[in-house]
Amino acid sequence: MNKKLSTDLSALIEAEIIDIRTAIKIQEFYKGQSGKSQNRLVILFGILGALLMGLGIILIIAHNWDEMSRLSKTVIAFAPLLLGQLIAGWAMIKKKTSVAWREGATTFLFFAVGASISLISQIYNIPGDLGAFLQTWAILCLPLVYLLRSSAGSLLYIIGISWYATEVGWSYKNHSEVYWYWLMLLAILPHYYMLYKKQPRSNFMTFHNWVVPISLLFTLSTVALEMGELMFVAYISLLGLFYIIGTNKFFAQQKRINNGYAAIGALGTTSLLLSLSFDWFWEEIAGHKNTWIEMASSPEGIAIILLTIAAGTLLYFFNRMKAIKNIKPISFVFLLFIPTFVLGTYFPVAGFVIVNLIILVLGLMTIQRGAEEDNLGIMNYGLIILTGLIACRFFDSDISFVVRGVLFMTLGLGFFATNYWMLNKRKTQAHAA
Amino acid sequence: MQHNKLLILVFALVALVQIYVPAKMVYDSEVVLDQGTAYKFRTAPIDPTDPFRGKYITLRFDIDEFEIDTSEVWERGEVVYVELTTDSLGYAKIAAISRTKPYEDVDFVQAKVRYASNRYSTLHIEYPFNRFYMEESKAYDAERAYWDAARDRETDCYALVHVKNGEPLVKDVLIDEVPIRELVIMNNAAAEAAELENSKN
Repeated sequence: MNKKLSTDLSALIEAEIIDIRTAIKIQEFYKGQSGKSQNRLVILFGILGALLMGLGIILIIAHNWDEMSRLSKTVIAFAPLLLGQLIAGWAMIKKKTSVAWREGATTFLFFAVGASISLISQIYNIPGDLGAFLQTWAILCLPLVYLLRSSAGSLLYIIGISWYATEVGWSYKNHSEVYWYWLMLLAILPHYYMLYKKQPRSNFMTFHNWVVPISLLFTLSTVALEMGELMFVAYISLLGLFYIIGTNKFFAQQKRINNGYAAIGALGTTSLLLSLSFDWFWEEIAGHKNTWIEMASSPEGIAIILLTIAAGTLLYFFNRMKAIKNIKPISFVFLLFIPTFVLGTYFPVAGFVIVNLIILVLGLMTIQRGAEEDNLGIMNYGLIILTGLIACRFFDSDISFVVRGVLFMTLGLGFFATNYWMLNKRKTQAHAA
Repeated sequence: MQHNKLLILVFALVALVQIYVPAKMVYDSEVVLDQGTAYKFRTAPIDPTDPFRGKYITLRFDIDEFEIDTSEVWERGEVVYVELTTDSLGYAKIAAISRTKPYEDVDFVQAKVRYASNRYSTLHIEYPFNRFYMEESKAYDAERAYWDAARDRETDCYALVHVKNGEPLVKDVLIDEVPIRELVIMNNAAAEAAELENSKN
């Protein structure tokens, strides 16, 4: 790559577009850049190397397992743990500044801790409770995240506690155990905050911006106890919260792929709304008759209240300086949904109609925004929302085939027309310029 | 520098805790093996359609049901305490089942309720020690040997379980007094020898 740069630079110098001093500056700049990407590779390979070494050792030992005495098996069970601790200690004392060392050491020790506990369980045939194992494993490794300032450790921890939450939450266990997850999640937030302050543009920050919302997406369901239908409302508020976080100016200057919150919030909201646009859902919830007090004091109800307050507060603070029309429309969906849900428990038809209207309006507004911002992607995304809506109604209702056919043809024509119009507009603008 | 020293101290502490957890598991298990009473839990035939679990074999025991008073209501997943004693043949037998922990000088294990059958006045329970870990290549053959032995009432098939203070530990699984690992090795050796014979002829 450097050769190409040199030839390009010489060509530019000859054409007298840049002078030699600028050329040297450009070369220095790119050298610095490649240095950064090389560093990242080293870190990645450090982590991968540690992972593979750990797995390899495990496999070799597993093969010869039966011939060993209980004592030698126990010693072997502790070996990776002690080795990992030595490496981690070394990384802490002598290699503090090396990200590769810290991340690699934490990853290795993380798996070593899990391996030693599970090996001992196997040696002694100790009856295993996956939930307790995961919880112990996570708690034992949490301090490492802060001692070694390791983001790989943080991500592994979050995955671990999410697995723990779903393991205890989706089984016939004591329901009060699910609340541990939230406490354990709180414990990792300081590290997340540190990433936000010190390395906001790093890949680790991006990974966290995806892993945290995905984790919450799974674990919120574990809160459900008796009133499952209420979880839909909680999820709309959670997704709304994600989306609003995603609209924060922190993400505005970054690539769209970095914004896990906005992506999950938008996609999640539209998909969830689409699945709620079927009349059978509203028939279902109309049947249930709980008092408002019962609903509000249930775990699901509390989740709804907390999430809605959080989303509403952020919605206000992030957008108070903006005119209403500048706020992204999806941000308001969760506010609309709660009264819709309430109305729907009394009049299912109303709930059904309103949700469909919301999706229709969202689709149309997205198309319009795409046209305004001259963004084919956004405009077509809006069209896809409309297509999704129509497709759902296609499977839902008893409208005649002719009508459905006409609807789809109209939609297809709409796709062609809007795209053609947009591309034409660009052509005429380019001509005019 | 002070800050550094503190961090190192904290790390050393964390490392010790990380070692302590598995070490305690080892210690507790060794105590049970050393000082616990050995009970022979006779095994029950397993439905052959049970999914093969890979690195361990699943154990099921004869004494997983007990006669109860149908006036009591038992919930699925409820924790119960099973008092153990030995029958005339030397196998483990349930003396009593209760919801509260028995007194110190009685051998017992914790179990969970699977379901209660009012029709037959029996309570079906699930013991926590239903896994016996084996090296991968042997696990499948071991499970087959175990099924065959369990179904055949002439064979003496049982799990040797050490019990102390309510903590159970499966020491081994024996078929006709031969540990299952050795049995599998013997069977495999015999099978190989038989194949060699066949290929010669």
